[in-house]
Amino acid sequence: MTTLRGIWGRRTLIGTALGGGLAGLIAYSLVRSEFSLAALARSGPRFAEFFSRLIPPNWSVTGLVVESTVETLMIAFAGTALAVILSLPLGLLAASNVVPGWLAHSVKWGLGLIRSVPLIVVALVFVTAVGLGPLPGMLAIAFHSIGMLAKFYAEEFETADAGILDAVGGTGATWLQTIRFGLFPQCVPQVVAFTVYRFEMNFRDAAILGLVGAGGIGYYIQLYVRGFQYEKVAVLLLVIVLVVTLLDQLTFWVRRWVR
Amino acid sequence: MRKSRPSRENMDSSPEPAAAVVELAGVHVVFGRLCALDIECLELRAAERVFVLGRSGSGKTTLSRLIKGRLRPSTGRVRVLGEDPMAPQSASPRGFRRRVSMIDQEFHLVPRLTVADNVLAGCLGRVSSARSFFGWYPMAELMKAEAILREVELEGLVDRRVESLSGGQRQRAAIARALMQEAEVILADEPVSALDPELAEDALQLLVDCVRRRGVTLVVNLHQPALARRFASRIIGLSQGKIVYDGPPEGFTREAADFLYAGPDRPGRVVPIGQPGQAKLEGA
Repeated sequence: MTTLRGIWGRRTLIGTALGGGLAGLIAYSLVRSEFSLAALARSGPRFAEFFSRLIPPNWSVTGLVVESTVETLMIAFAGTALAVILSLPLGLLAASNVVPGWLAHSVKWGLGLIRSVPLIVVALVFVTAVGLGPLPGMLAIAFHSIGMLAKFYAEEFETADAGILDAVGGTGATWLQTIRFGLFPQCVPQVVAFTVYRFEMNFRDAAILGLVGAGGIGYYIQLYVRGFQYEKVAVLLLVIVLVVTLLDQLTFWVRRWVR
Repeated sequence: MRKSRPSRENMDSSPEPAAAVVELAGVHVVFGRLCALDIECLELRAAERVFVLGRSGSGKTTLSRLIKGRLRPSTGRVRVLGEDPMAPQSASPRGFRRRVSMIDQEFHLVPRLTVADNVLAGCLGRVSSARSFFGWYPMAELMKAEAILREVELEGLVDRRVESLSGGQRQRAAIARALMQEAEVILADEPVSALDPELAEDALQLLVDCVRRRGVTLVVNLHQPALARRFASRIIGLSQGKIVYDGPPEGFTREAADFLYAGPDRPGRVVPIGQPGQAKLEGA
């Protein structure tokens, strides 16, 4: 039946089935997560008690916290920068319009492997390899980011207009010049947007890495939490929130500038 | 400039034929079951302004792509500037690619980049990868680009992004990039399809003037016979991949134009006269 009614009926049926399936999946996942409205209802007073312990904040640790936040920021920045430097050529190798299909698929598969290792595990491996401190943190961030950045770059490269690549190459340009003047200019806005987004995420990731000794503010988070020194945790939280807000604004400006 | 010396050859009544810039021999281009181009013999000479007319699908774009070296013929031989465009022997492939410039129908400028960036891309065939990577173009190239932009009247829009330009302005930017290449053969695939009639005439006039000044060969694919008659020094009519007219614009009459754009079952045939490759429309 190719009438409007027939097509519409089929579409509605499929839509309803998909919606029902999704709802069922959500319900199942809530059950497996032991979701309980009762537990949530009981939690109110406990939240209140926790937050009351944060006040008044213990400003004596401010200097320490700021310094380690700066270190966290630097770990995130260095890690992201290293990831970008390595992800650009890897992204080219994973782009099916730049290299042969078999190579692009193999590289994409390798990137998927990199992405699948949890960041904490990567950090632990680097800590055992190069010792404690900010270095393993920065390397872990870089390694973990490459998996996402390179894949995204490749996907962006693949959307480039092939006609423009042909036109630039037709002037007698070398392969490198065609990439530089034909491919990259088309992809810069999305590449930059995703890179700064990744950098924001990396700052938050780096904040946690201190938990395994890879530098940054994570060390102090776990120190104060385990020591029940919640007034100091309050200062930590405030500084982190401030930095994340600033980063958010900064990345917004960068994305607009590169449009 | 070379001084022309009077000699017995120059005083002959028949002029020495210019060098053949493009030669096709026994060329067939087949896509699946469709024969897109079927040319027994075709020679384009230096400094000719060849306008190729024909319906959509008649083989005009296929011919351009053959000359540019983006396509290999299924059978036959293609020689451009003495080389096989898909496998140039003498200089590096990049040197050969630079000598033939193609202006696509969609222009294919980089939208996010400025007019200056796009036009300068035309000199990439002459500038090393390392220098161009950082934008360190030689001063000579920058001055060439300035001169060309003045020639196409875009000098006021140097800093504007291509995506903010009008159709006519983009057309001139595409021409400027092709001129920057300093190619010996300029191909243009339906360069004025997106322009209104007045702009189309201006654009073609500009292109033809620039080409005349440089003495290079021009091959333009077009839909408008009137424009071809006005600007061409030679018209080639393609129908279903075959040449059905090849001669001066004066000979391309209304009837010839009608035949070209009529259906495939319209009677008529190609009659060779004089040199091979020279054909005249007969019996429509």
